[in-house]
Amino acid sequence: MTSQRQAAQPISRSLQQAALLVAAYVLLVFLLPASVATRHTYHLSALEYRSALLAVALPSLLTWVAAFLGYAKLRQYVTVVRKSPEGSYFDKLATGCAWLAWSLPVSSLFGLLANAAGEEWSAVHGAATITDNYLGVLLAVVAFSLIGAASRGLVNHAKLKFSLAGVRGLMLSFLAAGVLYCYLVFRRLDLTSLGSTHNAYSLPIWLVVLSVIIPYLYAWFAGLLAAYEINLFSKHTNGVLYRQALQLLVGGLTAIILSFIALQYISTVVPSQGHLVLGYRLVIITLFRIIGGGGFLMLALGAQKLKRIEEV
Amino acid sequence: MARDTDSSLYDQVVRITHVYLGPAADRFIARQLENHLHKSPEELSPADLLSLIDWIRVVVSLLTEDNGIVEEYIAELQKLADAQTHTKRKQNHK
Repeated sequence: MTSQRQAAQPISRSLQQAALLVAAYVLLVFLLPASVATRHTYHLSALEYRSALLAVALPSLLTWVAAFLGYAKLRQYVTVVRKSPEGSYFDKLATGCAWLAWSLPVSSLFGLLANAAGEEWSAVHGAATITDNYLGVLLAVVAFSLIGAASRGLVNHAKLKFSLAGVRGLMLSFLAAGVLYCYLVFRRLDLTSLGSTHNAYSLPIWLVVLSVIIPYLYAWFAGLLAAYEINLFSKHTNGVLYRQALQLLVGGLTAIILSFIALQYISTVVPSQGHLVLGYRLVIITLFRIIGGGGFLMLALGAQKLKRIEEV
Repeated sequence: MARDTDSSLYDQVVRITHVYLGPAADRFIARQLENHLHKSPEELSPADLLSLIDWIRVVVSLLTEDNGIVEEYIAELQKLADAQTHTKRKQNHK
């Protein structure tokens, strides 16, 4: 009974943290000044604006809860298999997933504060945009590097080798997406002056390339490679029942990685305007957030099944 | 096949279990022995095998609703138990 209570602790703690972050978001929506630009565009009162902001944020807030549940379940599984040969890699995977889960509320709450500050004091707008961009880059690099190290460890531990066709497919899709990304970002920059900061990133072009584009491309490559490696590991692992549970976890992780990459891709190719805009960008972002949330739920279910195998 | 008879009974049970539970097989069998038969892996004897199989059937049924997998796994373990009985009989005849 005591061990059951102890095992449930990380879950309840994570859900409490998610609930607190959701409460903080709701509180900020009602405390921060309503965006004049959005209210003017859609003819909204302050209360209507806040209600619309909450309604739009609802899928994201639910995704936070799913994300915190997902990484807590994975952490719970790790506590059971920590001493096993593959335990340290699952541990690293759980840490990477925790970074991804925390990156959701951290970037949203920061975005909310930065937008309000930018609206209130125009001088802060540039600094807020830069910090927002760097925060996104930092979280992506750390999370995908950790997940990449974990998947590499699992593949090496199982002595698996990549197929040539698989590597070619991965490289081709990464190169195509990367070149398209550079093209779409450069279209938004004034290429006649490399030092100009009059762009959506509030940074000189050379700095956008060095500190935003290259780190993002690195993080996405690490993420895509991790998704490929972890799928390879799950396909070649022995054990019918173990594999069923692992594939659920891996399917969830793949959905999470792809949704995060898509969200980061969209947010840099079509940067936020600093206030609520009801358009196709919002629809696509919400769609990928829901996919990510579904991924975290699959991850939680897979981790739960794997843990059950270790407990019965 | 020669390796099967050379390795310990515990290893043979784990090898069969590996097909169903993969990397968790060793831990799974050690846990069943400890929790239900109160024995360590080295103490597993042919006399324990049938009761271990009964426990495994109950426990694996909690992991999957696919009866086909459960029955296939149990049949493999049953074959091992039969082979052990056969070997014991042969030894008694000698």
